[in-house]
Amino acid sequence: MRVKGGVERGEAFEFRFDGDVVTAFPGETVAGALLAAGRRGLRRTARLGMARGFYCGMGLCWECRVVIDGRPAQRACMVEARPGMRVESGPDAGAAEG
Amino acid sequence: MSTVDVAVDVAVVGAGPAGLAAAAEAAAFGLSVAIVDDNPRPGGQYYRHPPPAFRPAAAAPADKERRRREAAFAVLAHPEVKYLPNATAWNLPEPGVLAIAAGERSGRLAARAIVVAAGAHDRPAAFPGWTLPGVVSAGGMQNLFKSQLIVPGTRAVVAGNGPLLFLIASNLVRAGLRVEALVEAAPIGVRLPAALPLLAWSPRLLGAALSYRAALSRARANVLAGWSVTEAHGNGAVEGVTVAPIDGNGRVDASRARRFACDLLVTGFGLVPSVELPRLAGAVLDYDRRRGGWTVRRDRNLETTVPGLYVVGDGACIGGVDLAEVEGRIAAAAIADRLGPQPGARARRADLLARRARQDRFRRGIELLFAPPGDFLALLTPETVVCRCEDVTFAELEACRAEGAAGAAAIKARTRMTMGRCQGRYCAPTLAQFLARAGGVDVAAVPMPRPRAPARPVVLGDLAHEAIAPPVLPDDPHLPRAPRA
Repeated sequence: MRVKGGVERGEAFEFRFDGDVVTAFPGETVAGALLAAGRRGLRRTARLGMARGFYCGMGLCWECRVVIDGRPAQRACMVEARPGMRVESGPDAGAAEG
Repeated sequence: MSTVDVAVDVAVVGAGPAGLAAAAEAAAFGLSVAIVDDNPRPGGQYYRHPPPAFRPAAAAPADKERRRREAAFAVLAHPEVKYLPNATAWNLPEPGVLAIAAGERSGRLAARAIVVAAGAHDRPAAFPGWTLPGVVSAGGMQNLFKSQLIVPGTRAVVAGNGPLLFLIASNLVRAGLRVEALVEAAPIGVRLPAALPLLAWSPRLLGAALSYRAALSRARANVLAGWSVTEAHGNGAVEGVTVAPIDGNGRVDASRARRFACDLLVTGFGLVPSVELPRLAGAVLDYDRRRGGWTVRRDRNLETTVPGLYVVGDGACIGGVDLAEVEGRIAAAAIADRLGPQPGARARRADLLARRARQDRFRRGIELLFAPPGDFLALLTPETVVCRCEDVTFAELEACRAEGAAGAAAIKARTRMTMGRCQGRYCAPTLAQFLARAGGVDVAAVPMPRPRAPARPVVLGDLAHEAIAPPVLPDDPHLPRAPRA
């Protein structure tokens, strides 16, 4: 959920996550907007098929990686959300090359 | 062979509190400075703040933290300071030279002195369910709260070890979440009387800590000290946690376990200094469990065993923001004094060293209070993932040991543990504890994996700006003979 008070957010816009509409505000990261919408699981691992999501929040663990507009292995915690973005949870792009 | 694109007096790696303070002090002594930072915006983790698109509400007064941040950022506008955001210092290829990956700005930066202020990341502790979505690291939670004003749930448990947990739990209360429990592994209640005289050396921080504790009491959160999370439950995302008492040797008393429902579990087990760059340069490290594990050896000027290379703040050894800022200034004053006698540099340094000594007493109080159990290996079950990147389970680690492949290199070769995208940051401490236990030695006797560039992942195209030496190939009779001239 978004914390109220202290700031005024800009005008809301939408992007898609696995086809579902997600609302975001300017300046929010993809991970931030997804977590605010209650979407915690962002992908499944290639080897054991385990659900993973936002973890380190500073671009180091790569657990929140998703496919954005067809580009694999984008860290949701580092990429700013944009109107019309297409974010997908899978396939687990790039797992094999480490 | 190298080409140097920019030369300055002082190159600072990291635009967090320590790096900004070092830059400000160096600039005040008239030195030219370049700050290299891999984030798009300055401040490191401590000064993370909402993006410009979030405008402060008209009614909101400029709080203390904001004023402090703005004062720290003032150095970025100094005419003698070059600030390079989105730039990764990925290697120290030779003395006084940094290799920088920054898209079209990639290249090399030469400096008469280098100050590394690379900060820290969360110390991981693996336990069943720690990979579930909704289980968030302490640093990740702080970043989301500070820079996005977003909290990823409605009902939280905060668990692990260290003073940061109290700040996080009180932030969550303030944000309107229900905090079910704060679960701290150290028995801080019984230790408080002994720690208080040291903690009193920083009235500001002691006051803050007491206000966090009071906020938790008002919110009727359970505060369990000498307890640990033992499992996160959930199908696809966290739905609850089990906690149990833990003793100084890391033994868990499962008979007294309690369970809390939650949709957010924040875990923090302390911080680990980001020592990749000093290691690449060949600086000597020392193991100090209380200060983050492997810490950088420094003299009183904060110079490492590599001449001209200074390391300051949490990136050298964990001490918190106030200590980080004073360390940045000490290193810069020492550099100013060395590069050319500076009027006032010596007196300034004496004053800074006295400030550091006071803050160090507070740090020792925190360390006394929060000294963790020896390890958290008792939390592992066969199915527990110990390496997130490569999905390696504890059973696979045990199988390596059973089959005699008990060294770090053998385990790495068999399981790929420490070889994933996180570069070992979230598994190497667990592996080191495991190897120490298996070998019957102290964790300080377990060598770290060999340091390799890049210190952080970089885009391959950025390295095209590097002058790379031709490869040295062995004579190979199978290759066609080179035509004679």
